[in-house]
Amino acid sequence: MISFILFIAVIGVSISNRSGLTAPEKFLRDTTGFVQQWFYKPAGYMAGFFQDIGNLRAMHEENEQLRMTVAAYTRDKVKFNAMEQTNQSLQELLHFTEAQKKINDYKFLFAQVIAVSPDPYNQTLTINLGSKNGIKEKMAVITDEGMVGIISKVSEVTSTIMPLLELNDQAPGISATALGKQKQSFGIVSSYNKETQMLQMTKIAADDPMTKGDTILTSGLNNVYPEGLVIGTVESIQDSDFGLTKTASIKLAADFDHLNEVLVVQKPEAIQ
Amino acid sequence: MRMQGIVGLTFLAFVVQSTIVPWIIPGEFAGRIVPHFTLAVVLFAAMYHSRHSALLLGAGFGLLQDVVFRGHLLGLHAYAMALIGYLFGLLLERRRSTMMMALVVVAFGTLLYELALYFVYKVFQFTQESLSWALVDHILPSLFLQLAFALAVYIPLRRWFQNLAMNRYSKKEPE
Repeated sequence: MISFILFIAVIGVSISNRSGLTAPEKFLRDTTGFVQQWFYKPAGYMAGFFQDIGNLRAMHEENEQLRMTVAAYTRDKVKFNAMEQTNQSLQELLHFTEAQKKINDYKFLFAQVIAVSPDPYNQTLTINLGSKNGIKEKMAVITDEGMVGIISKVSEVTSTIMPLLELNDQAPGISATALGKQKQSFGIVSSYNKETQMLQMTKIAADDPMTKGDTILTSGLNNVYPEGLVIGTVESIQDSDFGLTKTASIKLAADFDHLNEVLVVQKPEAIQ
Repeated sequence: MRMQGIVGLTFLAFVVQSTIVPWIIPGEFAGRIVPHFTLAVVLFAAMYHSRHSALLLGAGFGLLQDVVFRGHLLGLHAYAMALIGYLFGLLLERRRSTMMMALVVVAFGTLLYELALYFVYKVFQFTQESLSWALVDHILPSLFLQLAFALAVYIPLRRWFQNLAMNRYSKKEPE
């Protein structure tokens, strides 16, 4: 009975959204993480090795595709350089401050996943970078395919990612927009429905031009998450309960199983 | 010394379930088959060692799980694992459990644990899914993995724990 009261008390304390971790918690997390990374990586290499043998035939096709992409990339690079130069000269003309110039100067930190939580309702991941490497809470985490999640807890040399799969109505959502319609489109990615495996995007205005198949990006409007990270594609749009706004179902872009390497997006210091 | 061995073993189970197992599970079942190897070790400790060691192991490694994968709540795993370990220890500590019995206990323990997790998360509204969906989606598939693990480690773990328990009793008798 006493233990039950204690249990409720501990849960009550932890639910009150205490940010940051205490020293013993950090120590425990870091030492465990230290051991876990010896296991996760080799296991990943082994799994990858067997997969590669299976995929040998598909490799040739992929190579071809990559060559096409590189060609497209070099073409775009020339365009991009020219655009960057004009952009810079325009910024000079308009007397941008240093902070304004650096607003989109993101840094990407390369991190290894070292463990996956064995809890179906709390599928967090642990990575091998912590506050020592400049990781802070609420930084966005991406893979080459799209956004994966948000840094939720940080200790000295490890930190925890809350994947987008764990978004629920209790946490603040991510403001998002559609690719190519950044000026007119707006919504909030608020929760993930495990039964349909779709993200829910709510608070979309009734006259929003968003349609099925659009790519959804982070909008960067709330100044918490960076701008332009791919979240997913629109699968369907419905009117919400009162008919004033619309709700969209979004299929996630990133693949969440067998994650090995992720990138943490670090925003420039000046505006934080 | 002997208790350290058990703790080391449980820690190994903890590390394996969070690092190696996610790689073995095929992509279609990722997030659906969830390993609870530490719980299996705790239940074996309850059956073949003592209910107190099960209580301590459950609380300790549940707390480790809570802290390392800090998500919505703190202390849930610790409480659930300790309670389940102690209860099964209370029921079965002195009996000579057969292999079938052990498997049934592991299955029931895991089911109880998953249900406890589900209901607590449901009460605090961290999950909106229905019970029947949760059962089909991950609770039952995970049960098969858990049974396979229990079967694989049954003989070595039982022998080990019984030796430990035997040593303990033979030491106490002369006094």
